[in-house]
Amino acid sequence: MARKHREIGKAGWGYTAVASVIGFIYFFPVFWIILTAFKTRTDALAVPPKLIFTPTFDNFVSVFYRASITTGTSQATDMGLYFFNSIFIAFTSVGLALIVGTLAAYAFSRYPLRGNDTYLFIILTTRMMPPIVVIIPIFLMFRLSGLAGSYWGIIFLYTAFNIPFSVWLVKSFFDELNPEIEDAARMDGATERRVFFGFCIPQILAGLSATFVFGLILTWNEFLFALLLTGVETRTVPVAMARTLGGEVGVDYGLLAAIVTLFLIPIFFVTFLLQNQLLRGVTFGTVKK
Amino acid sequence: MAVLPTEKHTSPATPHTRGGFGGWLLDPKRRGALLVTPAIAILFVMNIFPLMWSFGLSFFNYKASSQRVPRFQGLENYQDVLTDDKVWERFQTTAIIVGSSVILQLIVGFLLALLFAKAFPMRRIVLMLVLTPMMLSFVSVGVFFKLFYEPTFGVVSYVLNKISSEPFVMLGSPEGAIAGIVIADAWMWSPFVMLLVLAGLVSVPKYLYEAAEIDRASKWRTFRTITFPYIKSLLLLAVLFRTIETFKLFDIVYIITEGGPGSSTETIAVYLYRTAFQFFKTSQSSALAYIVLFIVIVLTNLYLYAVNRRAAEVD
Amino acid sequence: MTIELKKLTKRFGTLTAVDAIDLNVGDGEVLCLLGPSGCGKTTTLRMVAGLEFATEGDVLLAGKRVNDLAPRDRNVAMSFQFYALYPSLTVAENLAYPLYAEKLSAAEISKRVAQVSKTLQLDGILKRTPGQLAEGEKQRVAVGRSIIRDPKCFLFDEPLSRLDVQLREEMRGEIKEVLQDLSRPTVIVTHDQLEALTMADRIAVMRDGRIEQVDTPHNVFQRPSNLFVAGFIGTPQMNLVPATLKGSDGAGIAEFAFDGGQALKIQVDPAVSQLSPGAKVTLGIRPRNLEICQDPVEDSLSTKIDMVEPMGAETLAHMNDGYRDLRVVTDWRVPLAEGDHVHLRFPPGVTHIFTEDEQVLRSAT
Repeated sequence: MARKHREIGKAGWGYTAVASVIGFIYFFPVFWIILTAFKTRTDALAVPPKLIFTPTFDNFVSVFYRASITTGTSQATDMGLYFFNSIFIAFTSVGLALIVGTLAAYAFSRYPLRGNDTYLFIILTTRMMPPIVVIIPIFLMFRLSGLAGSYWGIIFLYTAFNIPFSVWLVKSFFDELNPEIEDAARMDGATERRVFFGFCIPQILAGLSATFVFGLILTWNEFLFALLLTGVETRTVPVAMARTLGGEVGVDYGLLAAIVTLFLIPIFFVTFLLQNQLLRGVTFGTVKK
Repeated sequence: MAVLPTEKHTSPATPHTRGGFGGWLLDPKRRGALLVTPAIAILFVMNIFPLMWSFGLSFFNYKASSQRVPRFQGLENYQDVLTDDKVWERFQTTAIIVGSSVILQLIVGFLLALLFAKAFPMRRIVLMLVLTPMMLSFVSVGVFFKLFYEPTFGVVSYVLNKISSEPFVMLGSPEGAIAGIVIADAWMWSPFVMLLVLAGLVSVPKYLYEAAEIDRASKWRTFRTITFPYIKSLLLLAVLFRTIETFKLFDIVYIITEGGPGSSTETIAVYLYRTAFQFFKTSQSSALAYIVLFIVIVLTNLYLYAVNRRAAEVD
Repeated sequence: MTIELKKLTKRFGTLTAVDAIDLNVGDGEVLCLLGPSGCGKTTTLRMVAGLEFATEGDVLLAGKRVNDLAPRDRNVAMSFQFYALYPSLTVAENLAYPLYAEKLSAAEISKRVAQVSKTLQLDGILKRTPGQLAEGEKQRVAVGRSIIRDPKCFLFDEPLSRLDVQLREEMRGEIKEVLQDLSRPTVIVTHDQLEALTMADRIAVMRDGRIEQVDTPHNVFQRPSNLFVAGFIGTPQMNLVPATLKGSDGAGIAEFAFDGGQALKIQVDPAVSQLSPGAKVTLGIRPRNLEICQDPVEDSLSTKIDMVEPMGAETLAHMNDGYRDLRVVTDWRVPLAEGDHVHLRFPPGVTHIFTEDEQVLRSAT
């Protein structure tokens, strides 16, 4: 029995095909970079650009190992260290920011503080603020205190950078809980500590992990602070990428594409896993649904 | 900084009986304030204090590169900055990029949202393709487009050269460079607008569409009278949010054009970076930073106003 | 014009929401689909409107099969449970909304809006938006929007469910008046039997996707065709008492044995003689029909008053004799006290008898 019309808001496989084509066109720049990562230097520079070629893993190998010109043996590049830095710095600072941010978010959500709105506004403004505005004095501060180029400096800075975001996002999760349950628990003699750890935290665990992951992405992607405040030992991947791009003897796009591709992998997973929380994450909780 | 560790230990504990300073500190009346303190303290050290410092600096003639003792010169820096044609040019460049990028994001994001508003098989997977750009780092996106615009083997240049007979260097002309940056930024952030519009679209109760169908309203009338009122407030949010964010545009410009050719793509953020870290005009850049901060605060206030209005609407 | 449903079936996956129902609604007739939630009544209505596809069977409007037509091509008017007023439009614009498709002149549109707003007393609120309306006003606007044009049929989904008790009573009368003027088949979905009993020309009682009985309000109440309808219609609920037939005399006087040993003779429908002695039956009697006697009389059930609920003019008494609960409604003046022992008599001709397959046993009239 042929249908002349469909139920409102539903579509079939034909629609999927059209949407996939549009989606793929949109995705093309990412696809192209991944493709480039598997090209030899000649293929990457070919005119017209090549869509079909023999893939090679050489670029990925040379991200981490480089043949030494003098001895002919392969030698580790610094890229491994930069990836480690990116991961270590992001996890530590986002973890710290989440702990501190959750406490503050709970207070903002549950206690009528004097000047509550002012605090929240300041917190939001620090997030909206162009990083370039704060970086000028921070740069001076780090130079004076010797924090520039150290892990502690950048971790502490990223913690501060992540707090506003964590507070707003986690607050939006706390706001959704029903405070009556907490009051009921208090009536039954639960201590504040128990109410917080036993009732609130378990209920927003999913939200907390979403916040954690969003923070990781923000930090993972951050460029300007890292550019100015990391040293040779603490450099993160985005800075390394930018430096590769500014190379003297022409840019090795194959190699660069391989770095970018490796850098992308965690993003794919996260985007897929967090699809339903994405809107809330990117507007830090100001828009829920 | 030394205050931090002590305050961290004292989060939500509730011994009502303890006396002395501990008892005072842990009084339930102060619990809210106590929980907020660590966050505020860190923000103070890393954001507010530095801002106060640079506020002070903005009244001196300090240069981070020189050993000279800075001299107080009142509002001179502000005066210099505000009367500097170069600064106004940078603001103009920023406005052009922000304006075109946000408009482009609105259009593309809106169309994408209409595409994904329907439930269709494998929607989640297809949606992934569109959402990914938003999660990428500016640096990666800069690298993508730098590769695209590369005059000899870049895909965009190749296609453009096929169409027009004259060789075309995307980033060679001011207009081309601005377009290049706008396209990259809009590509990255259109999904954001899409998400907001989608949120508006799903918030429309299905029965309104059913009623419109029963009432035999045309597609356009349905959109105008039902759909649009529901996404109106979210569109406003999207515009404000994206304006604030695009206003900060630094990384993409830094990677793709470094402000060039000439200074045609030098946004205010890039200009600030230059003044502060290439010419080390610390005081002057602090003054400019404060002007930028003021604009952002105004925009943030507008944004919060829009958020609250929407929240009231949703209730 | 008529609505005809033929073997209409709707399945959602493995769940059968509507199960091969047949139903006719005549021109100008008001039919209520009545049933507990989840019985498939709304799904049936939505299939008539075209908002839901029929899995099997046909929907005929004015004699024409419309299964494959979109709602807009069926020319039906429907009012929704949540009113579905367009929130950004004023009341007047909401009322005019269905008229745009008819390509009427602006003058004609405003004439019709004025007409409807007069009928439904909306004159004072035409400039307001739905957000500024009270529930009762919203409801009237929703009704107004559906009656403003001349469709093939009118459909109402739970029109009064969102109103409070008092308003509901008021609106029931108003809507009934409006409905009487409509010369098209009208279907109302409701879970409220009072609404159905007062507004409908006929009621279709539904359960689990099937129609249990289609009849006039009077017959649905007085002559329930099965145990479900008997128990569903009427408040307080009909007493349904399992019993065993001991014998009958052919004129309708039959003797029943109840659980617990009591046995009594009750005059029921003569068709009881079709049953052989020993048959398990369920007797149904409305709480208002049971008679309370203070002293033991012949053929009465002795029981104890468990709880007394005064309901104003009447009193509802819950009886329990250790084997079954019975509800009795009496005049408020009858003195009843919890714990009293009383006797219940089954007056002649008011006791329904249901066989083991839950169908009523009744001689053809």
